[in-house]
Amino acid sequence: MLRSTRALMLGALFVSTPLLAQDYRVEIFSEGLENPWAVAFLPDGRMLVTERVGRLRIIEADGSVDPEPVAGLPEAFIAAQAGLMEVALDPDYSDNRWLYLTYAHGSLEANNTRLARARLVDDELHDFEVLFTAQPLKAGAAHYGGRIAFLADKTLVLTLGDGFDWREQAQNPANHLGKIVRLNRDGSVPQDNPLVGQEGAAPEIYSLGHRNVQGIFYDAEHNRLYSHEHGPRGGDELNLIEAGNNYGWPLATFGIDYTGARVSPYTELPGLTSPLLHWTPSVAPSSLTLYRGERFPEWQGDLFAATLAERSVRRIRVRDGMLAGEEILFEELGERIRDVRSGPDGALYLLTDNPEGRLLRVVPSE
Amino acid sequence: MSSKPRLLLAFLLAVLLASLLASIFQTQTNLAALQALGAPMPLDVRVGTTCLDLLGFAPTFALLSTLGFLIALPLANWLARRMPPLRWLIFVLAGAAAIWTALALANALAPMPTLIAADRSPFGTLGLMACGSVGALLFGLLGRQVRYRTQPTSSDSL
Repeated sequence: MLRSTRALMLGALFVSTPLLAQDYRVEIFSEGLENPWAVAFLPDGRMLVTERVGRLRIIEADGSVDPEPVAGLPEAFIAAQAGLMEVALDPDYSDNRWLYLTYAHGSLEANNTRLARARLVDDELHDFEVLFTAQPLKAGAAHYGGRIAFLADKTLVLTLGDGFDWREQAQNPANHLGKIVRLNRDGSVPQDNPLVGQEGAAPEIYSLGHRNVQGIFYDAEHNRLYSHEHGPRGGDELNLIEAGNNYGWPLATFGIDYTGARVSPYTELPGLTSPLLHWTPSVAPSSLTLYRGERFPEWQGDLFAATLAERSVRRIRVRDGMLAGEEILFEELGERIRDVRSGPDGALYLLTDNPEGRLLRVVPSE
Repeated sequence: MSSKPRLLLAFLLAVLLASLLASIFQTQTNLAALQALGAPMPLDVRVGTTCLDLLGFAPTFALLSTLGFLIALPLANWLARRMPPLRWLIFVLAGAAAIWTALALANALAPMPTLIAADRSPFGTLGLMACGSVGALLFGLLGRQVRYRTQPTSSDSL
């Protein structure tokens, strides 16, 4: 009864929050990208975009796409959800020119997510290093996670997936399936990771009990690490990640299997961290950012989650550290949105997920 | 009742039985996995989840088993008439093969590696196939009654 009342009050709060339409304009910044997955902003005004098919492209400051992909990339395993995924610049990129890439590594029978880094010199990758390969290698081509964020101490957190068929392994601290891991930028394990020294546990683990985490953002101003993950049918989650916490998959979830079968009878259990919010039915959240630009003052400090199934971007209002309602944006585009980023120019950038993918720039209409 | 409606009824009952059993099997294997991870599983939770799966999952399995049975059961009926001593073995194998084929087809076509959670392990696949066998045996039982009732007797020919 108490839970029902609380849920009703929370629902009323969300409903009563006025949803103001933003006065924005969506511009096509770049076209001709094959299933683009991630965008990163270089200090010189250019951008890097990964294409899932295994190419890293340079976007010039005027939006034109360099016809030659960046040379020196490793061969990724490409099938279904597998391929080249994230690109992220080192926090000290201007000094060291390291950039970080994630991709599916292996074969259809044995693969998992890999993290590597290389220096971008004269538009080619040099000094390529594999930093981490999630274990164990598993069959199939689903649920890789693959997003990166850097924490205040410049360590790196990498999101992973459960491989779909191995959901119970998300609760097993001995491997990386269904985990978020934290690494030093050279791939070594920070000694203050929560499971370091625990017998039988993988020391890279930062949090566990995840399904397929495709969005992560570190809010340095408030020292908060947000992530979102795909549920099955329903049960997509936005989580506040804390070291060592267990986020419950598959013991507790608001989602059910695609077949209609229950994944779990429970939506919460003692010892498991509940989501800040869940999306049921699923929206398929694919990327997460927090807006810190100046061109949309109303959006300051709000979270933005790109979605594939809903073909939108969810703006999640954050006020005084609390979630304060949602707004569904860009549905008029009718496109699967793979990535959303707050650009250095104050614009919001979107990548559309299709074989003729585009980089879109959202700016104020005036 | 003439043979065709009775055969249709036998087919539907076979699908229904296989789907109910498969749903119960899916639920119990899943709950066992959660229990092994430390989740409490009192009887009311177990019964409630089983009922929800009968509503949510059994229809999916009914669709799959219908597809498998549409080929397997008429074929088994035909073979059983020609090899009466092997009748029950034929239906057991036909039901199992129908479910295995339907699962393999679903996994090949679906975007995820394995559509049905219980099908992720050899034990689970065998369990689902056994449910198909039970359904096929029911069809064989009802089909045999149809044959006996529709065959002309010696007194009919007098």
